[in-house]
Amino acid sequence: MVKVGIPRALLYYEYYPMWRAFFDALGAELVVSESTTKDVAASGVARVTAETCFPVKIFMGHVISLIGKCDFIFVPAVRSMEEKVHNCSKFLGLPDMTRAVIPECPPLLEVDIDMEKKRELYSSVYALGRHFTWNPLKVRRAAKLALQSHGEYKARMVREGKTPSEVLEGKSEQRDGSSSVALVGHPYLLYDDYVNHRLISRLEGQGVIVLTPEMVSQADMKQTTHELAGGSYWTYEDEVIGAGGYYIKKGVVDGVISVMAFGCGPDSVMMHILDRYARRERRPYTCLTLDEHTAEAGLATRVEAFIDMVRKRR
Amino acid sequence: MRIGFPHAGNVYIPIRTALQELGVDFVVPPPTSKRTLDLATKYSPEGVCLPFKLTLGNLIESCELGADTLLQAQGFGVCRLGYYARGQEGILHDMGYNIEMVKFSVSEGNKLLGFMRVFKRISGNASWPKIIMILRFGLSKLNAVDELESLTHKIRPREEKRGETNQVFKEATLAIENAASHSEVIRLRREYTKRLQSIPQRKDADPLKVGIVGEIFVVLEPFSNLDVERELGKLGVEVVRTLSYSRWVKYSLFLNPLGVDEWREVHKKAWPYLKRDIGGDGWESVGEKVLHSRDWDGMVHLAPFTCLPEIVAQNIMSHTREDLPVLTILCDEQMGRAGMITRLEAFADLLKRRRTKLRSEGLLRN
Repeated sequence: MVKVGIPRALLYYEYYPMWRAFFDALGAELVVSESTTKDVAASGVARVTAETCFPVKIFMGHVISLIGKCDFIFVPAVRSMEEKVHNCSKFLGLPDMTRAVIPECPPLLEVDIDMEKKRELYSSVYALGRHFTWNPLKVRRAAKLALQSHGEYKARMVREGKTPSEVLEGKSEQRDGSSSVALVGHPYLLYDDYVNHRLISRLEGQGVIVLTPEMVSQADMKQTTHELAGGSYWTYEDEVIGAGGYYIKKGVVDGVISVMAFGCGPDSVMMHILDRYARRERRPYTCLTLDEHTAEAGLATRVEAFIDMVRKRR
Repeated sequence: MRIGFPHAGNVYIPIRTALQELGVDFVVPPPTSKRTLDLATKYSPEGVCLPFKLTLGNLIESCELGADTLLQAQGFGVCRLGYYARGQEGILHDMGYNIEMVKFSVSEGNKLLGFMRVFKRISGNASWPKIIMILRFGLSKLNAVDELESLTHKIRPREEKRGETNQVFKEATLAIENAASHSEVIRLRREYTKRLQSIPQRKDADPLKVGIVGEIFVVLEPFSNLDVERELGKLGVEVVRTLSYSRWVKYSLFLNPLGVDEWREVHKKAWPYLKRDIGGDGWESVGEKVLHSRDWDGMVHLAPFTCLPEIVAQNIMSHTREDLPVLTILCDEQMGRAGMITRLEAFADLLKRRRTKLRSEGLLRN
C-alpha cells in the first residue's frame, strides 16, 4: 500500500477529514506526523529564512519528521477556496518552497486548488488521483466522498460546538465556567498546543469557556465580514473578522482574544479591522502575536491579566 | 474638488502632467520624507508593509494641503495591495478627513480603460480624444525620465567626478517634468542623453554588474530603499534593473491585452524551482536570478518587511542550482542608512573577489 505523509500543520486542521476520505477511497495509507515538539519546530526553523512566518517553519519541521516514513508527502497549493478570495502567497508557493528548502524529502503530491479556474481544478484533482489509479471514475468518486466528509466535519463543529482538536484528536474540553472568551485566528495557531503554549487549556484552567470560529456558521461569518470589511479579500477573513465580529456583535462573550503569527501579512490588516470594531463597540479585545521566541511566562501573564480585566469589568 | 495622490518613484510626473492638462484642481504631496514616514507609522496597522505606510503618509499630507479626492491603486493580486485603498480610506475617515477615494485597478480587467475612466470622471467629462492626448503626453515624460535613469546606471560608476551624473539627472528630471509639449519632451530627452554621455568617464573603470530585483514599489521608490541604486553607483557598481514604471505601463496597459507576455522568458527560467504565480513580483525575482546568473556579478533583492510573495521567493532563491550571490534587503521604517551602506560595501567586496576568482578560472562571460 502506498503511504502518503500528511504534515500536522497549516491546512491539516481544516481539511484533514477531506484528505482522509479522498486517499482512503483511492486505497492509500495515511501517515500523519506527530504533534509539534521543540525538535520539530527547531528543525523547521533551521531550514527557512528568518522572515518566514512561524507556522510555515513548523510545517517544514513536520515535513522533515515524515522523511523515511512515507512514499509521498501531500502538499497542496491552495490559491483560492472561493472566487475573488485569495490565500496568502505562502500557501500558493508551499510545494515549491518545500522542495527548495528540503531537497531530501520524498516526492511531493501537489495539487493546485483554484476555485476561479474550475476547469483546471478537475484536471488538477485527476492528476493527483493518477498516482493511485488510472480510473477517472474512481477519482471522481473519491473527490465526492472527500467533499461530503468535509461538509459533515464543518457542520458537526457548528452543530455540537466543537473545536477541530476535539473532533480530530478526541480531546475533550470543558464547557462550564464563569466567563466566556472568543478565540479567533487561523486554525493552525489555535489548535497547535506547542505554538500557542496550550492557550485553550490555559484559559479553561481559569474557568473560562472558550468559543472558536468553527462554532459559528458559515453564513453568519460571511455576513459579518461583509458588514465590517465589505466582503472577504483573504481566505481566512471569515474566521477572523467574521467570527470575531459575530461574537462581538451578538454580545455573547465577555472578551475577544485574537491570535496571529508575527509577520503574518493578511493578519496584519485583519486584526486592525477587528481591533477598530471592538473599540467602537467597547468590548475587551487583545491580540497575541506568536513566533518561535514567544515565552510561555509572558504569554501566561498577558492572558491572566486580560481575564482579570474582563471579570472586573462585569 | 481637489485631487491628491500618493508617490511611487517618478509616477508623480505623468499624473501631475495629466491633471495639469485636464485643468483640474490638485495638489502634489511633498516628496516622501521622514515626516511622511512618522505620520504613516502612527496611523497604520503595526505589521503592515512599508508601501502601505508610505502611501498613507502621502495621502495624509495631501489631505493637509486640502485634497478631498484621492487616487489610489487597487487590485486583486495575492498581496496586500488589494487592501490599500479600502484600508487607507477607513483610516483617513477615522482621522476626521472627509475624503472620497477614487480607486483604479492595476491587476485585472482592462487597465488602460480603467485609467481613462478615472481621468474622465475627475475631469468632469473631458472628451475621449483629449484624454488620450493627455495620457500620451504624460507617458512620454515618464518614458523619457526612465530612459535617462537607466543611462545613469551605466555612467554613475564610471564618472570621474563623483556626483556629476546625479546633478545632470536632477536637472533633466526637472526640465522634463516642466516641459510644455510633446515635442519639447523629445528634444529634452535627446539633449540630456547627450549631456549624460559626455560626462567624463574613467577609462580604466571595470564596474561590477549588479541586478536589482524585488517588489516593484520598494525597488522604484528611492526613499523606501535608502537610495540603494545611487549608493551602489558610488561604490563603483553598475546597476541593472528590469522593473520600471514605464515598462509596466507599456506592457500592462498596452501589450499584455494583445497577448504579449514580457516575463515569458523569466517565468520559464523560474519553472524548475517555482511553478506558479505567487502574487506580487515573487515569480519574476526567482526567474531573474536564474536568467542572469552568468551575466551579472550579483543581485540585490529588495522587499518590504513581511512582504508575502517576496519571502517565498527569498526562500526558493537561495536554493537554485545557478549560482549568483544575492543580498536580500528588507525595507521597513527601522532601516538605517549606515547599516545598509556597510552591507552594500561588504557585498561589493565579496563580488569583486568572486569575479577575480571566476575570471582566473575562465568561468565568466563578462
